[in-house]
Amino acid sequence: MSLSQPKMSVAELKERHLAATDTLNNLKQRLNHTRRSLLDTDLAGYARSQGKSPVTFGPTDLVCCRTLQGHTGKVYSLDWTSERNRIVSASQDGRLIVWNALTRQKIHAIKLPCAWVMTTAFSPTGQSVACGGLDSVCSIFNLNSATDKDGNLPVSRMLSGHKGYISSCQYVPDEDTHLITGSGDQTCVLWDITTGLKTSVFGGEFQSGHTADVLSISINGSNSRIFASGSCDATARLWDTRVASRAVRTFHGHEGDVNSVKFFPDGNRFGTGSDDGTCRLFDIRTGHQLQVYCQKHSDNDIPPVTSIAFSISGRLLFAGYTNGDCYVWDTLLAKVVLNLGSLQDSHEGRISCLGLAADGSALCTGSWDTNLKIWAFGGHRRMV
Amino acid sequence: MATAASSSSLPSLPPPSPKSPPDLYGKRRDTARLHMLDREITFLEVELKNVEALQPASACCKEVADFVVANSDPLLPSRSKKNHRSCRFWKWLCGLPCLNLSWICCCCFCCEGFPVHLKLPSCHCCRPCSCCSCSCNCLPSINCSLPKWLCCCLCPTSSSNCCKGSNCCSFSKSSCCKWSSCCSCSRSKCCKWRRRSCFSCSCPESKCCQGSCGFGNCCILPSSCSFQCPSCPSCCSCKCSCTCSCPSCPKVHPCCCCTKSFWRSAFCCFCC
Repeated sequence: MSLSQPKMSVAELKERHLAATDTLNNLKQRLNHTRRSLLDTDLAGYARSQGKSPVTFGPTDLVCCRTLQGHTGKVYSLDWTSERNRIVSASQDGRLIVWNALTRQKIHAIKLPCAWVMTTAFSPTGQSVACGGLDSVCSIFNLNSATDKDGNLPVSRMLSGHKGYISSCQYVPDEDTHLITGSGDQTCVLWDITTGLKTSVFGGEFQSGHTADVLSISINGSNSRIFASGSCDATARLWDTRVASRAVRTFHGHEGDVNSVKFFPDGNRFGTGSDDGTCRLFDIRTGHQLQVYCQKHSDNDIPPVTSIAFSISGRLLFAGYTNGDCYVWDTLLAKVVLNLGSLQDSHEGRISCLGLAADGSALCTGSWDTNLKIWAFGGHRRMV
Repeated sequence: MATAASSSSLPSLPPPSPKSPPDLYGKRRDTARLHMLDREITFLEVELKNVEALQPASACCKEVADFVVANSDPLLPSRSKKNHRSCRFWKWLCGLPCLNLSWICCCCFCCEGFPVHLKLPSCHCCRPCSCCSCSCNCLPSINCSLPKWLCCCLCPTSSSNCCKGSNCCSFSKSSCCKWSSCCSCSRSKCCKWRRRSCFSCSCPESKCCQGSCGFGNCCILPSSCSFQCPSCPSCCSCKCSCTCSCPSCPKVHPCCCCTKSFWRSAFCCFCC
């Protein structure tokens, strides 16, 4: 069908539209039915059948080792470097702070041109940071640049083009020159930072993409051409950066906004966290939903999940919630094994962001209480 | 140019007006949408053929379980001799070896034979905490039970009235907002999704809080939107003067809290 010369009448178009929609819905139903028949077990059922023992934490096994204080507003986003234990955090106070996680020292405090920041990310080499927010622009700061006369680090590149706020950003692994953003304009964009131009746009009006704001993205650590996005349309989608016109697969199941997506360490699965209060694990090759992580509450009021992260082996799933809880899930058995929100020195507000150190030895949580906290294994090892 | 006849026998014709152009833009848009639907149908037909050849979920679960078991994890408790590195890392982070091994209000345990002093839990109760009993695996002469992290609270009333981490409240649990100081707000004023503090929500209920401040009430930001608020008391009572338009809005709530930012002279509002 040629787009340039509409040959059908309006009535014929409407009729064809209705027929196509019916066919589409019918196909989707058949697809769902076939998929359901392949769900012979979930991960917890399989793990129980294999006799897996649950993870048990002693009272001092996971402790808050450091509290990073300095922001004067809610912390919205954080990211670790690949090495050297630095963290960048973004806050409602309009600043990015780069921290030394071990010494708690503030290495940089970057005043942002727009205070409404929602996301930040470290480049793979640790030489620059990116951030974005309600100004719809992704700003890049080179940490080695000289400061201006006011002592502020200048913006080294501005990535403009989104028509909505920037909710998430991540550098492509091993490439300081490319990053991916997710936006309230329902698209994700792959940028070439050197030129400041878009390389590819994923989704949009006439492409098979999200139908509501994109809230989160995660790039596959094993194959950086693949990334996942989560959206207010209650779906997660898998993308191949070589094929921008259509998502590789759409993952249904959640009943609310998908606030957070994160790849499982093996690169063949990813997790999601949603406003419906559940986390889910999906398989990217088959599309199967392998597990739902849902904790029942006595008052039936399940708080939304704001952010998730997997431990380096994938055995633990950390999930932050709007009520300040931070559950540690046993990924295999789908049980909550610890709540960081109930521990000594826990946050006093919503957990807004989580991130695991590159070597998996520590977890950082950011909160609306303006602090960041580092959690590490504090248990003793009995000599056998 | 012929002039209109002024004869009374001829009916007066309406003035000539050009025909409006056909709505090609709307048709092109509908055609593009139809094209997109046809493309989706093709993709789904291919997917339907391929899905029957997929492995069942149990095979995927096996892959996950095998991966997890095969990889070590510094955050997992282990009872083996391995992972000395993370033990040393913890020691470095958590401070000096314990010099005072008083079993009264001191919790200690051993890491590879070195006793380490843990920080005392700070008590928020209105009366001093009773001593948390401690465990010291390397010193069997000290007979203690496992340490407790939560403060032992000696509020005069029953423990159900002592809000977690806060002062002992003389109110019932339902009035004591979680994590905050004791507040006398009624449930209707303590908006559902913000249990931590009492605040007077100046937005009508339908525009405030969980679920209600949805797409229909969100604002397009930032240029057309003014978030200037009057100076706020500790309980937020300001309103944002945004015009609202759907659906291109971030997940914001019109009822915002004003905070004084050190980096700005005016009060800033940020809604999220």
